[in-house]
Amino acid sequence: MPRSWEIGVDTGGTFTDVVCRDGTGVFHTMKLPSSRSDPSQSVLASLHRLGEEISLVPQDISRFIHGTTVATNAVLEHKGAKIGVVTTKGFRDILEIGRQYRRDMYEPIIEPQTPVFLAPGQMRKDVAGRISASGEVVEPLDEVSLRSAVDELVDDGAQAIAVVFLFAFINPSHELRARELIEKWHPGLAVSLSHEVDPTFREYERTIATAFDAYVKPVVDRYLHRLETGLAERGARAPLQVMQSRGGLMAGSIARQRAVRLFLSGPAAGVVGGCIVGASAGAPDLITIDIGGTSADIALISGGKPLVRSEGLIGPHALRVAMVDVNTIGSGGGSIARVDRSGSLKVGPQSAGSEPGPACYGRGGEEATVCDASIVLGYLDPDYFAGGTFKLDPAKAREAVERTIARPLGLSVEAAALGIHRVLNTQMAEGIRHVSVRQGIDPRQFALIPLGGAGGLHATALARELGIHRIVVPRLPGVLAAAGLLAAPVEHEVTAAFTQPLASLDLAAMRATLSELDAKAAALMKAERIEPSAVIVSYHADICFIGQSYSLEILIDPQRPDLVERVYEDFLLAHERIYGHATRVPAKVVGLRTVHSAGGSGTLDDMRLPPSGGEVSQAPRWIWVSGRDTPVEAQVLNRAALTPGFSFSGPAIIQQADTTTLIEPGWSGVVDAAGNLVLDSHPEAL
Amino acid sequence: MSIALSESGFDSITVDVVRHKLDGIAGEMQQTLLRSSFSPIVKEGLDASASLFTVDGETLAQACAIPVHLGTMIPVVERILKVFPLATMSPEDAYVMNEPYLGGTHLPDIAVVKPIFANGRPVAIAAAMTHHQDVGGMAPGSVPTNAIEIYQEGLRIPPLQLLSTGRMNETLVALIRQNVRIPDTVMGDLNAQIAACNVGARRIGELVERLGQNLVPKLFAILLQRSEERTREALRLIPDGTYRYVDYNDNDGIELDKQIRIEVAVTIKDGDFHCDFTGSSEQVRGPFNCVPSGSLAAACFAIRAVTDPDIPTNAGCFRPISLHLPEGSIVNPVEPAPVNARTATIKRIAGTILGALRPVLPDRIPADSCGEMLAVMFGGKRADGRLFVTGELIAGGSGAGPRSDGVDVIETDVTNCMNLSAEAMEMEAPIRIHQMSLRKDSGGAGRQRGGLGLVKEYEILEGEVRFTHRGERHFCAAMGAYGGEPGAMAVSTIHRTTGAVEIIPSKLVTTLHAGDRVTIETAGGGGNGPVAARDPAAARTDIRNGKISADVSTV
Repeated sequence: MPRSWEIGVDTGGTFTDVVCRDGTGVFHTMKLPSSRSDPSQSVLASLHRLGEEISLVPQDISRFIHGTTVATNAVLEHKGAKIGVVTTKGFRDILEIGRQYRRDMYEPIIEPQTPVFLAPGQMRKDVAGRISASGEVVEPLDEVSLRSAVDELVDDGAQAIAVVFLFAFINPSHELRARELIEKWHPGLAVSLSHEVDPTFREYERTIATAFDAYVKPVVDRYLHRLETGLAERGARAPLQVMQSRGGLMAGSIARQRAVRLFLSGPAAGVVGGCIVGASAGAPDLITIDIGGTSADIALISGGKPLVRSEGLIGPHALRVAMVDVNTIGSGGGSIARVDRSGSLKVGPQSAGSEPGPACYGRGGEEATVCDASIVLGYLDPDYFAGGTFKLDPAKAREAVERTIARPLGLSVEAAALGIHRVLNTQMAEGIRHVSVRQGIDPRQFALIPLGGAGGLHATALARELGIHRIVVPRLPGVLAAAGLLAAPVEHEVTAAFTQPLASLDLAAMRATLSELDAKAAALMKAERIEPSAVIVSYHADICFIGQSYSLEILIDPQRPDLVERVYEDFLLAHERIYGHATRVPAKVVGLRTVHSAGGSGTLDDMRLPPSGGEVSQAPRWIWVSGRDTPVEAQVLNRAALTPGFSFSGPAIIQQADTTTLIEPGWSGVVDAAGNLVLDSHPEAL
Repeated sequence: MSIALSESGFDSITVDVVRHKLDGIAGEMQQTLLRSSFSPIVKEGLDASASLFTVDGETLAQACAIPVHLGTMIPVVERILKVFPLATMSPEDAYVMNEPYLGGTHLPDIAVVKPIFANGRPVAIAAAMTHHQDVGGMAPGSVPTNAIEIYQEGLRIPPLQLLSTGRMNETLVALIRQNVRIPDTVMGDLNAQIAACNVGARRIGELVERLGQNLVPKLFAILLQRSEERTREALRLIPDGTYRYVDYNDNDGIELDKQIRIEVAVTIKDGDFHCDFTGSSEQVRGPFNCVPSGSLAAACFAIRAVTDPDIPTNAGCFRPISLHLPEGSIVNPVEPAPVNARTATIKRIAGTILGALRPVLPDRIPADSCGEMLAVMFGGKRADGRLFVTGELIAGGSGAGPRSDGVDVIETDVTNCMNLSAEAMEMEAPIRIHQMSLRKDSGGAGRQRGGLGLVKEYEILEGEVRFTHRGERHFCAAMGAYGGEPGAMAVSTIHRTTGAVEIIPSKLVTTLHAGDRVTIETAGGGGNGPVAARDPAAARTDIRNGKISADVSTV
């Protein structure tokens, strides 16, 4: 009987992670180095390896799902397409002017604050044609000057055109006509229209969203084309699906048209992976913290669903496209610790990276890092780093901490190393608090999921700092994003501007707008070959108090007779939750959204690793922990050998090939049926 | 082993931990304040700030708001503590004031101050200041350009109790509501301020619970001391001496032919930072007078700009500052001089202090920025009788750095306001924006070019509109440095449907009718270094991108 494999491939900067399963409980994980020059090479190489390792035949692949950094890298490395921007007459400089706001207030010498690299002045043109705030055509589109504008841009090398006309989100006729003409004049030239990319008022924000879309579209198109061709050549017939920034999947063919939705493709897969872990451990409200070498990513999951924001950051630029609320802070295992002249200890944001890396790597790193401190404190086994593939030098770690931190501060080496951890943990805890407070969430009610190579070392300290009582350490933190790909639903979201006071809401007009949105979303779902009966539809309205300019997204049921009252009450509750107060003053709707979603298991219950057998315990180690003046003896356990139901108390160190978990005194742990390590705090035991 | 406990009973690492916590707490307060405020000026202009103070009234931590608020809450907290001594305060009390002549800034900036208690003892103070949309007075928005007395500028609130053990002072609330044009918005913003203070109180309470009542004040003292030491250390790297600079604002909106002189002598001596404003103009009739809190804010900004940005911002950074503010001058007016438009003056003061220090800090301080924040306001009636008010704050170019061109249309020095999107304005008011573009050739030429100003053109579509224009740099350009050219001066014109063309003399209040157009051109920043030294490739790029005309570059 032919097997049917589902494959999730998540490409990161360093590694490409693969998880595949056949639906009968058989699954397999794999990690291979990413190809920097062409990430599709490593994706295709994974097929070859799977053939070798588990005799997988490409013809047997039923789903092939991908998380990619190709859009993000194109922006961060300024390697997108050369684009032209066409605007309404008089507004060609909007992209460069921006909001006149500067990010760094005390720096007297200012750097440009807008993404001018997308299209400098020469690559921006304006054409006559005007639509009013109420959507009337005040002046017809000047098709003659549009032609010369586009021709000049193409002559100057434009590979894609972003068209941004004022009020196109109310009346798109000029933008649609522009695309029709551009496609006629320059067949094959990619065109991004502002009312499709970001149908909301404020021309600067809409302009850069549209320009970013145009900038990455040819890159994404080439990349996905190479990948699809490569998969087809190897005999894989399953359509390619790609993860979007908001945590749902879409077909590769659609992703090429909606490239701007791919910026957080990889992190979104990681958050969905976090949801799976939470579901398997019975914890629906979670904070994930993925601590790598140079930075840490924080995300929130509430009620089993990733929290989504209507705008995020790409580099330093705010981008108005819905994405999972993943926030990066500049602290990680490789963060460098320094003492300034007033005797203050700073950790990060400078990082030792992988070259030269922390002092303990023995590659010439002279400065003490968090990783070096972890060695001094006994948390990391120098002989079992990265599964023993890489030996660390404890003497170098100790020397660096002593020379750069302990001596200047007049502390013992251990106290200095503990200090490095305390400062880092405080920074990361404040980062987590910032993200949760912004969403109106009290972190104490949430469980913490540590991810990444360094997450496990800081989990109990962070939880203590935040008042969190439960930690769930997944069995396979290293390939969680790839697993998340397999569990995610297919999802499409369509938004429209819709401005009306709640008090005088025209329900018929609102329902008419929602059905227009539904028709667009349904067309996208149809293109995914999804049966309409399988689609779950939800509706959302963006609401704010009249006079406010930030809105909150409220779930609505358009058929309810008491819709207006319900929406208002739900809005007041959300406002109270997020901002701590709500006054009963008039509110208005500013936008409507429909989300069509299908499939997605939300769990991967069949993915269980059997215990490896072998020794559970290794030789105990003396470790230093915060709040104790003397070292404590920690048991050292081998994660792979732990069986469900196995329980223990801190102090303990759990070692596995891809991460090490520190369990401080006051915590106890148990391995649950899904293989997760569930840690609970017992503050009274301290 | 011992964790190197110092004599005070804690280790130095704890100080760093607390420092990060305080930053986080101030940030959380700020987030609460900004996101839940009602006034558009708060959300687009970020014109609101949250701070933590010690019980002695020294700044403990401040969130990244706009620098003009940096020092401004210090005199407010000082005044509140004087009128309501700490010993008389109880938990769940809060105080309010806006009076400029008692420590405030201008009347729209209302401060809320709340003591933070732990175990029945005061441990810190939370404060939040918000620019309210309207606090009454002779003009909507409470910043009348033609005011000649503070009484015309709005409701003056002396230090008063707003909350008494958690209960709102309803008498005061009724009085405020009666005196402002949009009472719900004012109360919504006051509630946001209280909410921000409550966040600070809760988190500081948790901190004290964890670290102990006795330890916390000592930790705060050490944090302030560290910032002071690092600031003084940075100041000692500047050669001792007295450095002078003079710059001008256009006029006070009343006496249009009289420029306003800002003169400063900055004395750096062994880590002290003294600013003497002797030689500055007498106080003016119009509302551009700057009460002492404003000059203090400018000096606080300047000291942060010339020292290490990594130093935690707290009162320690400000301890080296002393000011001489001649009484009756533009920087220390006598009551009841009007003060509502003092931001333009504070911006110029900040620019002058930086200008004075440029010769000794050539790598740190760019050529003069235009330092212009043009305010335009439109208020009127639509054809169907509905009222509207809209307006915005518009920047010009920044000064060129020693190695980089200035930035076009960017906020500088003590303010950081966002512009209003053209679409937002057209949705709110019967106005059409015809142009919003970079102003070609407005950046001061030089080896590094100054940033460009903005050209924006508004057309009135309906009815009759009261129009206020409050500009700067119409009569006095931003100077270049080291041989760089000055930036272009600002120019604003009205084109009437009658065919008449009027040049706006920097400040103007007038009536516009349907079909009238206003074009504003903001000023450019100064250039840095001689233009002859400009890289020809950079000049060609500028021509290609439309930033300079071909003929200008070939000169």
